[in-house]
Amino acid sequence: MKSTNRFIARTGSLAAALVALALYAIAPPALADAPLTASYQGRAIHFTHLSSQAGTLAVGVEDPGLAQLLRGAGAFLTWRPGERYVLITTSVPVVVSFAIGDPRYDIGPIALQASAAPFLVGDEAYLPLREVLRCLDLALRQDGNAEILQPQLSTLDVRQENGRVTLLAHAGVPLHARVVAQAPGRVEYVFDGVGTSLTGTRQVNAGGVRAIEVVAAGTVRAPSVSLSVTLDPNATAQSPQNSGARDVALAFTAGPGAPESVAAVGASPTPEPEPFATPPSGPAAITGVTVTPGSDGIVVSIAVSGSAPFEWHRLREPDNRFWIDFSNAQLQGAPIDRGADDPLQSVRVRQIDPSTVRVALSLAGPKALAIEPSSQGMQITIGSQDVADEPRSGSGSVGSVVAAEQNGGEVTPAPLDQNAAGSSESDDSAWKFGPHNGYVPTDPRLIVIDPGHGGSDPGTQHGGVSEATLTLDMAKRLRAILVDRGWKVKLTHDTNVDVYAPNDSAHDELQARVDVANKAGARLFVSIHANAYINPGPYGTTTYISKPEDLPFGHIVAAQLEGDGTKDDGVIKAHYYVTYHTRMPAVLIETAFLTNPNDYALLTDPAWREKVAQEIADGIAQYAREYPVANQPAQ
Amino acid sequence: MRSLRLPVLVVLLVVVAAGTWYVISSRGSRNAPTLPVYFTKMDGTSLGRTSVSLRPPLAGESAAEHLHNTALYAAVQAVAGPPGDVQAIRFPPGTRVLGVEVNGSTATVDLSKDVENTPGGSFGETGEMKALVYTVTGVAGVDAVQILVEGNRLETLPGGHLEIDEPLHRSDW
Repeated sequence: MKSTNRFIARTGSLAAALVALALYAIAPPALADAPLTASYQGRAIHFTHLSSQAGTLAVGVEDPGLAQLLRGAGAFLTWRPGERYVLITTSVPVVVSFAIGDPRYDIGPIALQASAAPFLVGDEAYLPLREVLRCLDLALRQDGNAEILQPQLSTLDVRQENGRVTLLAHAGVPLHARVVAQAPGRVEYVFDGVGTSLTGTRQVNAGGVRAIEVVAAGTVRAPSVSLSVTLDPNATAQSPQNSGARDVALAFTAGPGAPESVAAVGASPTPEPEPFATPPSGPAAITGVTVTPGSDGIVVSIAVSGSAPFEWHRLREPDNRFWIDFSNAQLQGAPIDRGADDPLQSVRVRQIDPSTVRVALSLAGPKALAIEPSSQGMQITIGSQDVADEPRSGSGSVGSVVAAEQNGGEVTPAPLDQNAAGSSESDDSAWKFGPHNGYVPTDPRLIVIDPGHGGSDPGTQHGGVSEATLTLDMAKRLRAILVDRGWKVKLTHDTNVDVYAPNDSAHDELQARVDVANKAGARLFVSIHANAYINPGPYGTTTYISKPEDLPFGHIVAAQLEGDGTKDDGVIKAHYYVTYHTRMPAVLIETAFLTNPNDYALLTDPAWREKVAQEIADGIAQYAREYPVANQPAQ
Repeated sequence: MRSLRLPVLVVLLVVVAAGTWYVISSRGSRNAPTLPVYFTKMDGTSLGRTSVSLRPPLAGESAAEHLHNTALYAAVQAVAGPPGDVQAIRFPPGTRVLGVEVNGSTATVDLSKDVENTPGGSFGETGEMKALVYTVTGVAGVDAVQILVEGNRLETLPGGHLEIDEPLHRSDW
């Protein structure tokens, strides 16, 4: 089989070379198209690097108009001559990947077909313009002889949760929904300034929402989108949540006594899927998904009306997820997200882009899967037995399932339990540096405390408070407690100054702090910090270590800090300069988050800082008892 | 009659070649290998992952070129992070991959200066770099990641804690 494949590959390569030669001989020289100027929100965008060489209009990656659009959308393009992938990272963020010579392009995990493959003209890559604009939620429209770049309402996602339906609309410009008509059982919104290709009616029948109808209105230059929502009599519509961003949420709540959903998935005794609604003409409709027990496992039945190509994938153990994407398809009904019984764990069904419906299954192991056509559309049988070397992907269309083929070992497995990353049991997470065997402190009663930051480096600053001020305060409190208990203590600095020199390099500054401990032959090293993040969400105390001999000390200190009043994030290994380069057991304690309101209140409370100092001192005492100098851990 | 043989033969050859190329291309797209893209969860340490699919090697694409292209793809995906509705530690907005080079089993990832906007505190820098290193070392043939910022090797990010002047490995976490 392998030799056959090699033969085919070689024949193919030879044939491809011949075709390329023939095309080279007969193809006209690459000529640039005339520049194109399009109007975009009152501005003129000039495209000067255009080519129709591939039969469809393509734009060069160095085109100034494209650069202007990318900047305006907060997106950027990654490509250099010689590279295969042309990558656009949007503001969502999602990576849109084009590949030279391949008409397929991917928006995140979704593979789509472009109107033409990207190609090279000299040292510049050219991408199909229509698809590039789609990534930026734009469409090129004509108004007489004028070209208009029209922002698009590009997605309308229906989400259901706790008897409530939310419609999430996303567009290429800041979006604003206004209510233009409201009556019992119906509410109509208008989005000004955007066009759409999402026109049509979708049945929802969940959370009080019966159906939504999208109509494109307005003109090419002044487009609008009308969204009519038909509701149950007792359902209520909340005011649109306009935030000035590119997303708007429209929320609806079912009235009392309303059925929660007809889109439920469960172990129904009915072997065939229950349709949600009568499917419309045009794109295929995924009208129902049911899960039923089979003779050996579970059968997931997907009711499909119309014809739809599909592509499926499954991941490798231990990530036992499977998904199947139906292209040119609409989900008739609310998205589904619910658990299921062994060997299935969960089922999710949703419209992942305007024309693709995804059915995603989470399996309880590397279970056998059989994908077959059925009278209703498609049937996926999940066996109860684990199997090895299952096919990883396949494609076809409803009614004509294409047999899956094995991947040729090209996938790079990441044998990592996502919840166990960093576990010391994993080969990947083994200690890299080896133990600092045989460290014996020359001054076994000396503890070196490092107040994080200081001097020209204030550390995190938030709410008028600097990290350096807080860490110096906690270090001094800790010093006082330890001295009272008979320890010798040295601070890397006991005023708010740099240890090495003002405005020194990170290396010089951190090494100077390490030197204080190493040169003094200290017993233990404790670096005190306050954490921060770009939003106020994260909070808690984390104890970082770097070396094997740090581990017992880290666990003991972290255990003492458990009761400090914020969340305990335990001990985390990281390659931090001060903990790695100090020769004695060392910890770096991020006491709390300055950027979290509750943690901020703690950090700015002197009593709390005293309590933390006390707990660290208790940890040092406990460690000294459990690991006398003669018995320092030397793994 | 004999004069027609050559053109007919050429036409047949081209048709067969095009058909073979189409079949091989289609096989490739159906069996696209996937790349795990890791992200660090908001607990600051555990990893989640999504997957994106890769293109199989092109005819004529050398192993070194394929490795370079794949490592670049991995780095860009890691820096972009998971979809916006996923709770994850993220690189500062605007951070982009300026380039990737692979030498031996070390991928050097050059990041834009925006990465220096990582707020003080170890939470952000650790989560960002862990996701990047795990994702790029998920590419077969890459074991370590050297971080550059605008082409320069830094000891740490400004105000940072993580030592990045040497290649990072998965075992650093």
